[in-house]
Amino acid sequence: MADYSIVGRPVDRRDAVQKVTGRVLHVGNMEPAGLLHVAVLRSPHPHARIVRIDKSRAEAAPGVAAVLTGADIAAMPGITPYHGPAFADQPVLAIDRVRHEGEQVVAVAAESRRAAEEALELVEVEYEPLPVVLDVLDAIKPDAPIVHDEIRPSGAFADLAHVKAGERSNICYHYKLRKGDVDKAFAEADRIFEDVFTAPPAQHVPMEAHVSLAYVDEGGRINIHTASQSPSFVRGELARMLGVPMNRIRVRVPYLGGGYGAKLYNKLEPIVALLAMKTGRPVKYSLSREEEFQTVTKHGVVVKLKTAVKGSAMTARKCEVYWDTGAFAEIGPRIVHKSGYTSSGPYKIPNVSIDSYCVYTNKPPAGPFRGFGVPQVIWAYDSQMDIVARGLGADPVEFRLEHALEEGDLFVTGTPIHACGLKEAVRRAADAVGWDQPKAPASGSKRRGKGIACGVKAVLTPSISGAIVILNADGSANVLSSTVEMGQGSESLLAQIAAEELGMPFDRVHVVQPDTDVTPYDTISAGSRSTYHMGNAVRMAAAKVKEELFQAVAGKLEIDAADLESRDGRVFVRGAEERGMTVTEAFLAKFGSLGTTMVGEGLCQPVVTPMDPETGMSEKCTEYWFASASAVEVEVDTETGRLEVLQFHAAGDAGTAINPKYCEQQLVGAATMHLGLTLFEQMVFQDGQLLNGSLLDYQIASIKDVPAACHPIVVEVPHKDGPFGAKGIGETGALTVAAAVANALEDAVGVRVRDIPLTAERIHEALKAARKVNGGT
Amino acid sequence: MTIPAFDLLKPGSVAEASEMLLEHGDEARPIAGGTTLVILMKQRALRFSHLVDLQSIPGLERITDNDDGLSIGALATHRSVERSPLVQRRAPALAQAFSHVGNVRIRETASVGGNLAHADYRLDPPPALLVHGAEVVLAGAEGTRVVALKDFYRGMYETVLEPGEILVEVRVPHAAPAARTVYSRFSSLSANDWPCIGVAALLSLDNGNVGELALGLSGVAEAPLLAAGLERFQGESCSEELWDAVCDVVDEQLSPVSDLRGSADYKREMTRVWVRRTLRELAS
Ligand SMILES: Cc1cc2nc3c(=O)[nH]c(=O)nc-3n(C[C@H](O)[C@H](O)[C@H](O)COP(=O)(O)OP(=O)(O)OC[C@H]3O[C@@H](n4cnc5c(N)ncnc54)[C@H](O)[C@@H]3O)c2cc1C
Repeated sequence: MADYSIVGRPVDRRDAVQKVTGRVLHVGNMEPAGLLHVAVLRSPHPHARIVRIDKSRAEAAPGVAAVLTGADIAAMPGITPYHGPAFADQPVLAIDRVRHEGEQVVAVAAESRRAAEEALELVEVEYEPLPVVLDVLDAIKPDAPIVHDEIRPSGAFADLAHVKAGERSNICYHYKLRKGDVDKAFAEADRIFEDVFTAPPAQHVPMEAHVSLAYVDEGGRINIHTASQSPSFVRGELARMLGVPMNRIRVRVPYLGGGYGAKLYNKLEPIVALLAMKTGRPVKYSLSREEEFQTVTKHGVVVKLKTAVKGSAMTARKCEVYWDTGAFAEIGPRIVHKSGYTSSGPYKIPNVSIDSYCVYTNKPPAGPFRGFGVPQVIWAYDSQMDIVARGLGADPVEFRLEHALEEGDLFVTGTPIHACGLKEAVRRAADAVGWDQPKAPASGSKRRGKGIACGVKAVLTPSISGAIVILNADGSANVLSSTVEMGQGSESLLAQIAAEELGMPFDRVHVVQPDTDVTPYDTISAGSRSTYHMGNAVRMAAAKVKEELFQAVAGKLEIDAADLESRDGRVFVRGAEERGMTVTEAFLAKFGSLGTTMVGEGLCQPVVTPMDPETGMSEKCTEYWFASASAVEVEVDTETGRLEVLQFHAAGDAGTAINPKYCEQQLVGAATMHLGLTLFEQMVFQDGQLLNGSLLDYQIASIKDVPAACHPIVVEVPHKDGPFGAKGIGETGALTVAAAVANALEDAVGVRVRDIPLTAERIHEALKAARKVNGGT
Repeated sequence: MTIPAFDLLKPGSVAEASEMLLEHGDEARPIAGGTTLVILMKQRALRFSHLVDLQSIPGLERITDNDDGLSIGALATHRSVERSPLVQRRAPALAQAFSHVGNVRIRETASVGGNLAHADYRLDPPPALLVHGAEVVLAGAEGTRVVALKDFYRGMYETVLEPGEILVEVRVPHAAPAARTVYSRFSSLSANDWPCIGVAALLSLDNGNVGELALGLSGVAEAPLLAAGLERFQGESCSEELWDAVCDVVDEQLSPVSDLRGSADYKREMTRVWVRRTLRELAS
């Protein structure tokens, strides 16, 4: 590895001590004087017409400052009452109709949370229930109830401008890929494998629930403090909705208590902004855990896969993916597109057809979730890879390695693969789990098995990150970046990158938290993009500052700036360290004063070649790939169906591990999170009503569910354009968990389950069905 | 959600608490650890203008060993039962059962009386108490009565507690020296979840034959259940066939409901699995 001073070192996180000692300021802790609290009345119906709302008694209730309905907002001059990143299909508060249980209908701002909640009980809403559509496959039938009669375009993202909703259909987006001649390949196939896989809607469960606070300052500007992963988006979208210039809105984001995709785009911000404008007082809205379940979910999917095999090669694959985006599209269309085009897998298959559909139903809206849809498609295709390998009598690891794409190969979209690390991840995960060692013997009713799965995600492209680096005359530096520190370690990592590039000590670099008044635009803190995009922007900005600094030193020493180097806050001549000066001396040399700064700006904006709308082909559909492999050993109780994961190995390609410790933590954290989703997490609906909308009944992985052996494997295949070769790794550990566990299940007890979660009862049913087929009891 | 406003009444004695409850009728409820009640009130599923704080009554948290059994005060916390050397020695299955409840924060707060009075159908502690033949002492305006725990439950979330009555003590008779007990909980989702079903067993062996046999179950009926009709197996020799026969008798008494943790059929099947496993373990 190159000779770096701080890149590649596992330095401790900046926020660690503050966080474990409970001294971090979250939005929830902010209590400005005169604060009003918000409570929102939500729809009890999954689909209904709003006949009448009477809020007069609530308005007269003690402590109530304002009561707002969707109709009130629509009547405000200059205000756009709808929002959404793909379509402007979501009203801030329901207008005329409610489309899912828990949709926000009436908002109250009052002196206390209790006063607001009590006022809600005085609001009368008359509903006329409408036919409900819940199942994603029912929703695409011609006679299905239609969730949206009219769809408004959104101006939020330029790359989504082409997204158009179908007319009078619940399909709001369709991605299509056609490569080769699929029909011919199926006609000529030796064997055809056909499977349907499903995954249910689920919850992100960040420790900190959604919370936003707004106030209008003395100058009439709208100030927002919010737990958001996308401060730049919030500012732009609010400016558009409120009809004010962007610089009339200031969005600040302190440390987040987790996000996982739940806190992207606009969530509570429009409500608090409107109520602050209406009351002239600071307003805070924080969701209860129960409300979280009604706010945003992980997309449930049905994935139909059909694969043709000739000899030992896969010759064709047909993928149909139906994404349940719930009542509002949210970012669904982008997920359907970006994950859709990877749904045939990172494998050599000459003929491929993909149809990926974004479908409205009367469920809470589905949005981004660690992995952006890719875990759902890998769950399907890498379960089927195992089915095919076993069907052909091939070793699942060898079969994957034989078919895996590598450097220079074309992905199914026609984009060449660069720096992917897929094969290395598979090999190392397989070695770690002892793939070649014999299976552990059965013990009583328990059977053990091993499983592997792999897959890739393509980073969201295009997207933009801007950064500014300011070098102070004493050699300390400030980094201005809108990347949100939500637990992933970006703050410390960006400081490492700036320190390395400047040649300054790590502890002299301060990263400013997102504040749209000062930190430049950034698309989102999500999708494993910040290390690469913001990392590059920070590095570029630092390089510009360094250039100015070196010029100052070169002028004074009368040498060429190209001969200079900096380390530990000192600039010197390469090879002659005694000839040099401190930053302060350089400032004096250049400015004759210390009262100034050197400022550099960096921008990272990877581009794509737009996909052909009919074939889905693009010479460049993404900036980089990240590969994931999981290898697990499980033990299944054949009498109860309960599956326990005994060891877990999560491998992921980080490009270059700027901070190996954070990479390991991300791999294990993501794998653990998805272990819960694999084994028991699901939102259960009955007639459109959520049955397990609280943590008493919705289970996430507890410490008792995490295997004692849970090992990260950091693969490093440097990317030519990554900052020091780095790529993202925040989602990688999540991608391949479900398929690996299902594959191990089959290895252990010979049954294939195609629906997650792999609950004990599901496995028990599958075992019973298998015994029946085999003529047992 | 916030909890609606209420008055917290602080009685100094059981009699006073009972009076307070009677005075406010349906508007009042006793509160012990509050781990269940507070959630239900925050969800606004239940509403009371007055809560009578049983924690302010001195002496209700004691655990003592009497000649014939353990006496556990209704306000003893789950944690204190789980960690009590007395309980661990006299009724290990009971210590085990309490140790499974929720997490340490819940167990430090939740009370034995609250667990029983809540009368949820899938709690951990009741089966272990049932196999010991536990009794509950109920104190009210009319005086005190003692009710067998198996007769305490009337249905889902329903007990025989009369208005103004408070559960003050749980009596756990000592098992015969030859008897062994065990509690098995089966979670079908997270290992940390409430049980899908729970099975407690008490078995004594007499020359390899069944002596005393009791099975307590939770999650498989509207309320915790003590299996009836097991006397008939006394004197039989332990075998897989015998356990099957026991399972058949138990099965007839089940009336499981389907819920998030399993369908009714699955719970039935799991009861068979865990009754057999539990008896095997005790007989070995
Ligand atoms: C997060 C969580 C996880 C849990 N996990 C489990 C689990 O894994 N296994 C399990 O078995 N249980 C579990 N529980 C339930 C737990 O056992 C009960 O919440 C607890 O036992 C109730 O005791 P308490 O003292 O807090 O009762 P409270 O909440 O104070 O009262 C409960 C009810 O009993 C009444 N009451 C209380 N004391 C008396 C009395 N002495 N006389 C008459 N009436 C009374 C109250 O009026 C109220 O109706 C869990 C609970 C939570 C919140």
